[in-house]
Amino acid sequence: MKQRKWKSGLLALSIVGAMSLAACGNAGDSSSGGGKDGDKTVVDVFQFKVEFKDQFEKVAEQYEKENKDVDINITTVGGGEDYGAALRSKFASGNEPAIYNIGGPQDVEDWNDKLADLSDTKAAGAALEGTLAGATKDSKVLGLPYNQEGYGFIYNKAIFEKAGIDPASIKDYASLEKAAKDLDAKKDELGIEAVFALPGKETWVTGLHLSNTFLAPEFDNDVMKAYDAKDVTFKYGDAFKQILDLQNKYSVAPTVSLDYSKQMEELFSNSKVAIVQQGNWVYSTIAGIDEELANNNIGLMPIPVEGYADAKLPVGVPMYWGVNSNKDEKVVEASKEFIDWLYTSDAGKTAVIEDFKFVPAYEGYDSSKISDPLSKAVYDYSEKGETIGWVFMGYPTDWGQNKLGVEIQKYLSGKTTWDKLEKSVEKSWNADRNK
Amino acid sequence: MKKGLWYWAFIAPALFALVAVVVAPLLLGVYYSFTNWNGIEVKEFVGFDNYLKLFDDEEFIQSLKFTVLFAVVSIFLINFFGLGLAMLVTAKLKTNKLLRTIFFMPNLIGGLILGFIWQFIFTKAFDGIGQAFGIESLQGWLSTTTTGFWGMVILMSWQMSGYIMVIYIAYLEGISPELIEAADMDGANGWQKFHSIIFPLVAPAFTVSMFLTLSNTFKLYDQNLSLTGGGPYNSTQMVAMNIFNTAYKQLDMSYAQAKAVIFFLIVAVISLLQVYWNKKREVEM
Repeated sequence: MKQRKWKSGLLALSIVGAMSLAACGNAGDSSSGGGKDGDKTVVDVFQFKVEFKDQFEKVAEQYEKENKDVDINITTVGGGEDYGAALRSKFASGNEPAIYNIGGPQDVEDWNDKLADLSDTKAAGAALEGTLAGATKDSKVLGLPYNQEGYGFIYNKAIFEKAGIDPASIKDYASLEKAAKDLDAKKDELGIEAVFALPGKETWVTGLHLSNTFLAPEFDNDVMKAYDAKDVTFKYGDAFKQILDLQNKYSVAPTVSLDYSKQMEELFSNSKVAIVQQGNWVYSTIAGIDEELANNNIGLMPIPVEGYADAKLPVGVPMYWGVNSNKDEKVVEASKEFIDWLYTSDAGKTAVIEDFKFVPAYEGYDSSKISDPLSKAVYDYSEKGETIGWVFMGYPTDWGQNKLGVEIQKYLSGKTTWDKLEKSVEKSWNADRNK
Repeated sequence: MKKGLWYWAFIAPALFALVAVVVAPLLLGVYYSFTNWNGIEVKEFVGFDNYLKLFDDEEFIQSLKFTVLFAVVSIFLINFFGLGLAMLVTAKLKTNKLLRTIFFMPNLIGGLILGFIWQFIFTKAFDGIGQAFGIESLQGWLSTTTTGFWGMVILMSWQMSGYIMVIYIAYLEGISPELIEAADMDGANGWQKFHSIIFPLVAPAFTVSMFLTLSNTFKLYDQNLSLTGGGPYNSTQMVAMNIFNTAYKQLDMSYAQAKAVIFFLIVAVISLLQVYWNKKREVEM
């Protein structure tokens, strides 16, 4: 009796199981055997940059027109959503993309088995010096840069002019401090709430970007050195503290809960603060609120590092394109060709600068076509070679945001001292690298 | 009763769904917590390493403490306000129906949106009032642990009280008027009626409500994410968020799984104990 119950249960379960499997199978068949596109090479792109999704899709269509045998499908997951998590589930589902994005050395390590060697592509040959460092392993190029981005102190030219301060005179910490004091003294007259807006809530601003300015010199601007380092020592820790304290002292309070939207949209774009620490990506945000300000009245200057050479701008590659080596030879080749076309053909180059509004990470571009002042400043600095690298891509996973950024919040709340902060994050860096 | 083929045939779809989306992931999760899975592949079996690491993880322990404190305070307040509102709208008022709808409404708004709305209220409205009247304690909300905590409690109570109210209403309306009348004749005052008649009779509602509020406040994520994001310095981070961050920010998948398993055990044990304990106190009519 009992046995029979079991058997019938099992039978029922297996019927349902078989039915659902059959259903899955059918669905799978119909999509892959969809008939007329059968001889086309399908390249699935899974990318994270929401901001240029529409433009990118248009450019891909243009490519499809020129190359009738290639079909490019673009899926975008990013912005508020977690690209890394989405990519993992995409792979786990078996529906692997041909082209996907990787962020830096840790991603390269994690995805190593699923990344094709791109050393022989034209784009790899054209990439600007240093831009491939974060995605190269055992002298194989595994990722091609999207673009370049740079950050520093973005300032409001009109406010500086009104206060009679020449931004060009700010070369080191002392001159920056003096400027901040002057601006602070004339706060009411200039109609600003404070000099700075330090977004302590955004741990990427403090823990990644700001810290990078002071840790890059320690690791000789080499992201791989940071990635391989067993320890971090805060060689320029005092300079770091100075800048943080200065921003905190003259910022709109409370800084711990100040977020990106308040910093950029509410304060800076409405000319309520004079200086913010951000990068060229904020151009469209500012332009959306005050186009006049965005086009004519903002400038970008480096964050001074006391005790290190002249102020330089941190410029780096935020994301790389990787090609899935699990795919057929044909798909891998088609993927490489597409990326090459995008960054080295004339049509592609025009799209990169004019439609995507990228700061190109490749040579052979006409820089005068870069329209927005921040990107132009980034390109100018990188042309002059006055840049430092983005070593934060080589920090232990989430160390910058969740360890350092969080400790900085604690420091800004007065719950820890700078010495304790350094010790605590040095310890967690060491622990992560020695596990 | 004999359970034949038809019995199983009808139960199979639900059983299959349950196995596929609840049982299987749970078992898989427990398995992953004993490995060093990185979300892409399982490299090796590490035994209890992940669990042992938990004891030294100050952040996890801190988030656990915060969650417990938050749960206790919110359970008390939500049930207090829920019952209070229920008593109010079952009293003879003309605006009963309207009030019920209004009180229930916050519950219809998604947690994320609510978080952002209240973030605005705490950081802008509170701040504005504080500045206008010079009340220091209303300024800088969500920038300290204490205000972050109370911010979450206020948000949660505001959202869930209406829902819990509905449950209490059902039980309050189920109390037969004769009992109250009899008590009136015996000369019982308001408090005596509440304490000796209404309260024991709505005790089953406590079981349901406390179970709901307990599991909801314990597993809270979206309100936490949008209101404070765990800040300042992760001090208002609740367990669910800590687990999510371990998995998707630090990409330490197997360790996050271990945390999730422990969290599951804690919630399961507390919930079962609480249901058992409350069931014992209920009166049957």
